[in-house]
Amino acid sequence: MLWYEVKKVFSKTSNKAGLVILAVMLAVVSYFAVIQVGYVDEDGNTKTGIKAARTLRDVKNQWAGYITEEVLVEVLEQNAAINASDEYQSKDVTENNKAYAKKQGLSDIRDMINRAFCGFREYDYYRADSVTTEEVKEFYNRRTLNLKEWLNSEEAKDQYTDLEKQFLVERYEELETPLYYEYADGWSALLEYGPSISMLLVLVTGFFVSGIFSNEFQLKADSIFFSAKYGRDKAVAAKVGAGYFIITFLYWTVMLLYSAIVIGILGTDGAECAIQAGFGGWKSFYHITYFENYLLMMFGGYIGSLFILTCSMLVSAKTHSTVLSVAIPFILLFLPSFLSGFSVLSDILGILPDQLLQMNMVVKYFNLYQIGKSVVGAVPVVMVLYFVLSVAAVPVLYGIYKK
Amino acid sequence: MELKLTDLTKKFGDFTAVDHMNLTMTEGVYGLLGVNGAGKTTLMRMLCTLLLPTSGSITCDGKDIFKMDGEYRNLLGYLPQDFGFYPEFTVSDYLLYIAAIKGMRPAAARKRVRELLPKVGLDKAANKKMKKLSGGMKRRAGIAQAMLNDPKILILDEPTAGLDPNERIRFRNLISELSEERLVLLSTHIVSDIEYIANEIWLMKDGKLVQNGTVDEIINSMPESVWICTVEKKMADDMMKKHKISNLKSDAKGAELRIISAKKPLPNAQRVPASLEDVFLYYFGGKADEENVVV
Repeated sequence: MLWYEVKKVFSKTSNKAGLVILAVMLAVVSYFAVIQVGYVDEDGNTKTGIKAARTLRDVKNQWAGYITEEVLVEVLEQNAAINASDEYQSKDVTENNKAYAKKQGLSDIRDMINRAFCGFREYDYYRADSVTTEEVKEFYNRRTLNLKEWLNSEEAKDQYTDLEKQFLVERYEELETPLYYEYADGWSALLEYGPSISMLLVLVTGFFVSGIFSNEFQLKADSIFFSAKYGRDKAVAAKVGAGYFIITFLYWTVMLLYSAIVIGILGTDGAECAIQAGFGGWKSFYHITYFENYLLMMFGGYIGSLFILTCSMLVSAKTHSTVLSVAIPFILLFLPSFLSGFSVLSDILGILPDQLLQMNMVVKYFNLYQIGKSVVGAVPVVMVLYFVLSVAAVPVLYGIYKK
Repeated sequence: MELKLTDLTKKFGDFTAVDHMNLTMTEGVYGLLGVNGAGKTTLMRMLCTLLLPTSGSITCDGKDIFKMDGEYRNLLGYLPQDFGFYPEFTVSDYLLYIAAIKGMRPAAARKRVRELLPKVGLDKAANKKMKKLSGGMKRRAGIAQAMLNDPKILILDEPTAGLDPNERIRFRNLISELSEERLVLLSTHIVSDIEYIANEIWLMKDGKLVQNGTVDEIINSMPESVWICTVEKKMADDMMKKHKISNLKSDAKGAELRIISAKKPLPNAQRVPASLEDVFLYYFGGKADEENVVV
């Protein structure tokens, strides 16, 4: 039965077209993720691709290791030396690029220095150029100090409760330092484009699963279905099973292929680095590695897909309308964007299901929830909440269609 | 096998589609005859557990069919009036899928499909997609799916609707062939569909059973006689207003009328034996328009 339910879905011409769209989408997003990582050669030309990624990895991995005071001082010294070079001082862009070619190995650590010595909500690319070797010793302390200053600022002082502020400071202080650094551009690119592919995947999968529960009614095949021996139990269970099988199969196939392509080309290095050891994750209060962030993205995305598409199937089962059902993923994914302008909704927006499809961003946000006297970030809340809801929806879906 | 309807009623709001029906069916072919809207489909959908009665009960060998659940549906084969299918499935896939939801094991299902396809004349179309079949072929695929589980109760709702005369005759013969040792309930508003194959005919009107019995019993139940006479064409309209006319045939000499009347309508009228069509018109005369009565 399950096999025929799945066959029903994949035999539809529109769904065959959906598979082609998924393949094209996978190719396009993977391409953009791969060209995200560029290596600037000695002549100042930017190159992308496997060879460029490998070269960049070698260059950056010259700085691989714990970011200690000595390393930071060395970065500042080399940075200053390059800044003093003719290429850097030149007004010719190509010459400047040649200077950058020498800097790109240390660029990640340099960016972290920029982050540490700017205000919490500021970024100045040239800040590292003016940090002294004495100042840089405060590198890790500055991270926590910036947070404390910001939490006491006009912008943030009423945004969080004292308990939440205490939670954030404690989390910052708990970060194990010195941070370990190595080339992790492959993971960065993978994580950056992950939400694009998982969102597109949910939208396309919506077309696949939306008809599972409504087709019988649209095709007027419901009478035969429900008057059959298993029409009110096993055949309904097969439909539910087919829905989850299709969601699971498409999600993991596309996401694992995407991961394999991007990581295969850009390299697996940096998996064990903390996300704070990079430009994007410096301010995150989640103490996780790039690989753990990747797992969060994959499993969060899966739970998000399950929940959103379960909602779609519920609408299909209840209303017998494929059109309404197809609209559900669009509503759940795009409505939060329209509502983001309302600051009063920020707490709710932080735990809407679309967040699960962009876990790489969620780990950077300061969305906090107080449960009793405990404060937690949005990540565990959305993961647990939507997993439980998705599981709880299974018998509801079965019951609705059975009726 | 005994299917018993006791005081069966189905209401949709204020409208009563089936009104306190009491019937008992055993093996044999039952022809349910009535105009559109008489409640035939509602009755059949209740018999297939697709609709719950408002009141009353349906029992199968003394057990409530709604409580029997899958056990009852295992005995059932149903071909609905609006027969839907999966357009991208081949005939073979379609039948195997229905066999699966009927609880048949794959090997038994494949064997049964191989048996049934030649019976319904679709053996050469087994690998053809359902959407490519003609109307008659789809109906035959429909009867094949109903027969997959070798049902003890076969319910066919307007199975010949939309078929051309050849297909109708072929389909009628097929039903007759498949009707042995089972209870077949066949609904139609096409009198000739059931005249030759039904052991018992039920006439249904406004949700109620107005008459039931064998073809002869039904014909004999009509208290009026059937007359044939030829009149001038200009008189035909006048006669149609005064009498129930079951047939009118015009030619150069005038109009030959088949009149249902208790008394001799005209001096030149000749009494002829009544047919089931005449009875149908007698009982459903008020509603019997061209759309509803196909003879």
